[in-house]
Amino acid sequence: MNRREFLRYQAKGILWMIAGGSGILLPKRLIAAPVTDIAVVKGAPTAATRAAVDLLGGMKQFVKPGDRVVIKPNMSFPAPPERASNTHPEVIRELAVMCKEAGAAKILVLDHTLAREELCLEKSGIRKACNPISKKMVFALSDERFYKTTDIPKGMSMTSTDIMKEVLKSNVLIAAPVAKSHSSAGVSLSMKGMMGLNYDRSVMHRRYDLHTSIVDLCTVLKADLTVIDGTRVLSTNGPRGPGKVLKEDTVIASKDMVAADAYAVSIFEWYGKRFKPGQIRHIREAHKRGLGRMDVENLNVKAIDL
Amino acid sequence: MITFRRTIQIISLILFLTLLASAISSAITPTPLDLFLLLDPALIALTAISGRIFSVAFIPALLVLLITFFFGRIFCGYICPMGTTLDGTDKLFGTTRKRKPEAGKLRLLKYIILFFLLGASLVGVSFVFVAAPLSLITRFYGLLVHPVLAFLSNEILSRVQPLTEWLDMDTLVFMRIATPRFATQLFILAFFGALFFLAKVSPRFWCRNLCPSGALMALLSKKPLIRRRVSDDCTDCGRCASSCPMSAIMAENPRVTLHEECIVCRTCQNTCPENAISFDRVRMEQVSEKQRFSFTRRQFIVSGLFGAATATVGLTGLNSLHGKPGPGQVAPKGLIRPPGTLPEMDFLARCSRCGECMAACPTNTLQPIWLDAGFMGLFSPGLNLRRCYCSPECRMCGEVCPTDAIRSLSKDERIWAKTGTAVIFRRKCLAWEQQKSCMVCDEVCPYKAVEFRKEPGNPVPVPQVREEKCAGCGYCEHFCPVQNQSAIVVTPMGALRMSEGSYIAQGKSEGLNLSITPKSGYGPQPEGRDWGKGFAPGFEGDESGSE
Repeated sequence: MNRREFLRYQAKGILWMIAGGSGILLPKRLIAAPVTDIAVVKGAPTAATRAAVDLLGGMKQFVKPGDRVVIKPNMSFPAPPERASNTHPEVIRELAVMCKEAGAAKILVLDHTLAREELCLEKSGIRKACNPISKKMVFALSDERFYKTTDIPKGMSMTSTDIMKEVLKSNVLIAAPVAKSHSSAGVSLSMKGMMGLNYDRSVMHRRYDLHTSIVDLCTVLKADLTVIDGTRVLSTNGPRGPGKVLKEDTVIASKDMVAADAYAVSIFEWYGKRFKPGQIRHIREAHKRGLGRMDVENLNVKAIDL
Repeated sequence: MITFRRTIQIISLILFLTLLASAISSAITPTPLDLFLLLDPALIALTAISGRIFSVAFIPALLVLLITFFFGRIFCGYICPMGTTLDGTDKLFGTTRKRKPEAGKLRLLKYIILFFLLGASLVGVSFVFVAAPLSLITRFYGLLVHPVLAFLSNEILSRVQPLTEWLDMDTLVFMRIATPRFATQLFILAFFGALFFLAKVSPRFWCRNLCPSGALMALLSKKPLIRRRVSDDCTDCGRCASSCPMSAIMAENPRVTLHEECIVCRTCQNTCPENAISFDRVRMEQVSEKQRFSFTRRQFIVSGLFGAATATVGLTGLNSLHGKPGPGQVAPKGLIRPPGTLPEMDFLARCSRCGECMAACPTNTLQPIWLDAGFMGLFSPGLNLRRCYCSPECRMCGEVCPTDAIRSLSKDERIWAKTGTAVIFRRKCLAWEQQKSCMVCDEVCPYKAVEFRKEPGNPVPVPQVREEKCAGCGYCEHFCPVQNQSAIVVTPMGALRMSEGSYIAQGKSEGLNLSITPKSGYGPQPEGRDWGKGFAPGFEGDESGSE
């Protein structure tokens, strides 16, 4: 995207927001309610990301001056953005820019990659995209010294795990997953993505029930803000792909991880079909355990097109 | 005082270590990464014989031999990283200055070793790995010193982390030095421990008595053009003889030099109080230089025969894969050779076990094996895919192999260089046996060779290997969450082992379909999967969603 395009998107976004805010144009799905639970914006990655967060009240709602922020993308695979295995670099960059604007003291983009760290950081394009903001921002942490054993008081099956120290030290956790299918978890969105912040995820397959332990993990790794990158959706063959990639140009944002995931399940096509959020067991369990809400039909969804 | 020789030695050692470090960090250098291995005369000469090959890459070793013929064993005294290392450790641990006359007889050993190896090579079996100096020293630095240093650096980084965090030095906070782990490192430790200890018997014990490359060069440097010359100023004080690190000067008559033992270090020249010694073109013979320890033709033949006999015994070993492939060939069950490895017998005949490929392997999957492939395969490289996968994008092992025992492949050929085929052990598999949600093997497979399907009575999808798509990279075996032995294991079945020709052509002719890239960016669904029945793995039926 060149600067002109970028500005055009920004301007469009602002106009739409003014229009939406002043009540001239009510987005289709808007139910009269003071708080937006889920923001859904169609547009190019950068502009849609900003607009989605702005619909929730802007980044200042989440990041206070001096905060330490950790952004958790998907960058586990050495695959380019068009494969939709990793979060779009521009989504991550825009989130980082907004955090900086809100006065964050430190912003880190962290993941525990499956493939070789260097390869993932390079091929995903995320490090390169964030370099203009800071060269010391995007890291893949695989060594055990970066993790600390942490209790999970609300854990039903997994009651303790090793979590990235930097995440434990941070004030704000932003989940920024790409929307993709996952052969064992059904979908890999913000909740499944938290498996990139603990040290040994194999135990979640082996010793515990995968879905239950994902919810367990999310009770301690509850994102303050979830931004799901649905600009491209890996609809089949996830999480690594290559699979069928849908060009959806959508960014979903919410304070509620469960609601964001549930909404993403319901609006995109998976394996050529439509599903309800409750058909993903970890979403259903999270809803039941009060981690968040999957009944998106009862939530205030604000959707705009840029 | 740092002499000219020391300077050259240190520069040479630094160059050797730099090239090794470059191989370890997959860096590109203008110099071939295996340059020093290619300089080792015995390693190259014996490999050329055992592998029945000659390559232009072997010219450096020939040059070394040529130089030796004219100028003596300069390689030993100035270039060899093994010699420099031993000079260093001799200094460090202390060496004896006592001259034991019987120690001289030990010198014969190196010829015996050389001819033993030569005998084996003539039969087509390579035993160079037991004694070739560059093979040993590469293993010492690559498989022993490097992991220890990396381990210690990581420990230090970990200890100073509170400090670096406080100083906000993010680069150091998040720095991680890959610490490889290797098998057989205790052998290397014991071997080099013994070599260092032997300095107590004499300095450069290895170079004097054991080194087959030294022996080969000694055979060519009985009378080099430039050699030690003693003028009539000599007072027979004998200081030169007692200072010589190689005991190449006769104690009884310091005018007599054993040129084949001389490494041209010129210590004698610097020691001589009368300045009677020079290294120079000899214009006339001053002293009759009779050989004190001569090597008889009988000894040549006997040690050669022993080598050939040992090699023949090796060829009759149960695991020895000579002859045509077919029934009765007991190939090692779990041994996966690196991609591009020659057919087994050609490979063993060429591989010098230098460990360069293992040191250079970025995922540390390449390990020296002990006796998995019989005595003949001792210390040769094998993939330990539980340790880590073999990256389809990586071609380092073939790049650094000095003897082309592992072929150097193009990017596309590499993807088709199949190393084996994954097999699922259903009784260990979480999905098959315990009916747990787990498709990690499918998740990580870069070739998309793991498929899942519904089994009657099983609520979770179960994995299945598509053999024609599997290249044996081992992503699945490495990441399988089951403990100890993985539930999906790569077996050597179907590995492509070719000494020439295209892996792509061969693979296609065998019906393989290996690919790590999608056909297009926003590609269609990959072929071969049945989505028709509305099967979406990980999703549950409609009824559960309605609650």
